[in-house]
Formats: sequence, C-alpha cells, structure tokens
Amino acid sequence: MKSILATLALTTALTIPGLAMARPVTLTTTLNNYGGDGAYLALYVTDASGAYVGSLWMAGGKSKYYEHLSDWYRATGGDTAQVNGITGASVDAGRTLEITLDLADALFDAGYTLHIDAAVEDMRDSPNEVAVPLTTDGAGTPVTGRRYVASFAYDM
Amino acid sequence: MKKTLTLLVASTALTAAIGVPAWSAMQAPADGVLRPIAALFDDASQAMPLVLASDDDDDDRWRDGSRRGHDDDDDDDDCDDDDDDDDCRGGARNPAPAGTTAPPQNGLFGNGAPPQVQVN
Repeated sequence: MKSILATLALTTALTIPGLAMARPVTLTTTLNNYGGDGAYLALYVTDASGAYVGSLWMAGGKSKYYEHLSDWYRATGGDTAQVNGITGASVDAGRTLEITLDLADALFDAGYTLHIDAAVEDMRDSPNEVAVPLTTDGAGTPVTGRRYVASFAYDM
Repeated sequence: MKKTLTLLVASTALTAAIGVPAWSAMQAPADGVLRPIAALFDDASQAMPLVLASDDDDDDRWRDGSRRGHDDDDDDDDCDDDDDDDDCRGGARNPAPAGTTAPPQNGLFGNGAPPQVQVN
C-alpha cells in the first residue's frame, strides 16, 4: 500500500510539471480586403538574436509558392518538413484565421518574436508582415500588419 | 578587263593574307597560345552571355511563372496531380496538412492537444 502511494506521488510529481510546460494559445489573424486571391501566410518564431527557431503555422498547402514567403523561405530553405502537421489552406481577403496551438511556456517572456510572412498571387510579397514579441503582457493586444494583415493577436 | 579582274583578285587575296592573321593576333589571348581562327568565333559566343530582356520592374511579386489557381479549398497536396507541369519545386513535396501528422519537434509545441484551426 505504501509503495503504491509512493508511486502515485512520484508519477503525479512528474506529470504536473509536464502539463504546466505548455499551454493552449490562440493566434488570430484577420486579413484586410486587399482585393486579391487567398493569401499564403507563414507564422514562425525567431529568438532574441533573430535566428529562426521554428514554424507555428503555414496557411497554403503548395510548396511551390513558398519562395514568396521570402524571409521564412530564406530561414528554412523551403524545407517543408518545418511545416508538416501545421499546414492549412490559404486565407481569403477579409477572412479571419484562428489557430489554437499547444505552445511551450518557454516561448513567452524569453526574447522570442513571432513573425508572419504573407504573399498573394499577382500582388507584392510581404515578408515580415507582422513581427510581435511573445510576452505574457502582450497577449490579447492586436497589432497591425504592413500590407495584408488588418490585425493579429495571440491569446492565452 | 582581264587586267582589272586580276588586280581585284590579287588585292582581295592580299587583304585576306595580311588582314586575317593581323586580326587573329589582335584577338590572341594573353597567354600567347595561338589557336585556330574559328576558335575566336567560339570564344566570342562564350564571352558574351545571353541576356534575357524582361519587362518586370520589381522582383518580389507573385508572377505568372508560379501561378496558382483559386485553390483555397483545394486539399490535394500531392505532387502528382495532372493539372499542370509545375506541381513541385525541385522535387520538394507539399507538407502534410494539419491533423494528418504530429507538429514538428521544434521545441515550440507541447505534447497536448493537436492544432485547431478555423477560418471565419
């Protein structure tokens, strides 16, 4: 009996920190009515030195267009493995893309920046459309993009 | 008449005999190696790169060369569809859509719920 209790206590102690290391975060991106086709969007993270860390989402499933997401493409070499399992459809003008991801706590208040590159057929590419530091204080605060993104916010 | 013709032929031959070697010498490479005259023409064609004129004034625009259709709701993500000839760049495959495989192990994701997405 005593050994079972000890085992339970140990597994609980090991499990709880694991659960606390990540949290659901909702990324909400609203596009303005730019009058073009659906936009390809790459959401990715860089560290405090500006180095690429990883991708969070890719809106747009055809890799042949990824070169237009030029900052993301330069950082990854267009490696589609970076966005396996986190890729969805491109987003039409005026629509809102809402993604909920289970993100590591270590991403926040540690100097990381979330970037969005955007591209639309027959329109200008927009690398670094959005760049927003990931902080707990910044959650829920909308920011405006340079060309296609009317607003972006992350909520925890 | 015959004399004039002879003079013309002689002057042409003389010009060719003197002019061609002189021209060859002018075109000779710095290393001094003599080459057949025909090689000069080859060299000239190699030395002058083919320049393609383009009317594109900016280079960061999504152009016809990589056009896509209205494929927002198109979920075919393979490289072997038969719609056109530019399905995959350099043999790179399209990424796996969300929900078909786990997110990449890039340290950004926890092990909890899979990504949820909706477009409003």
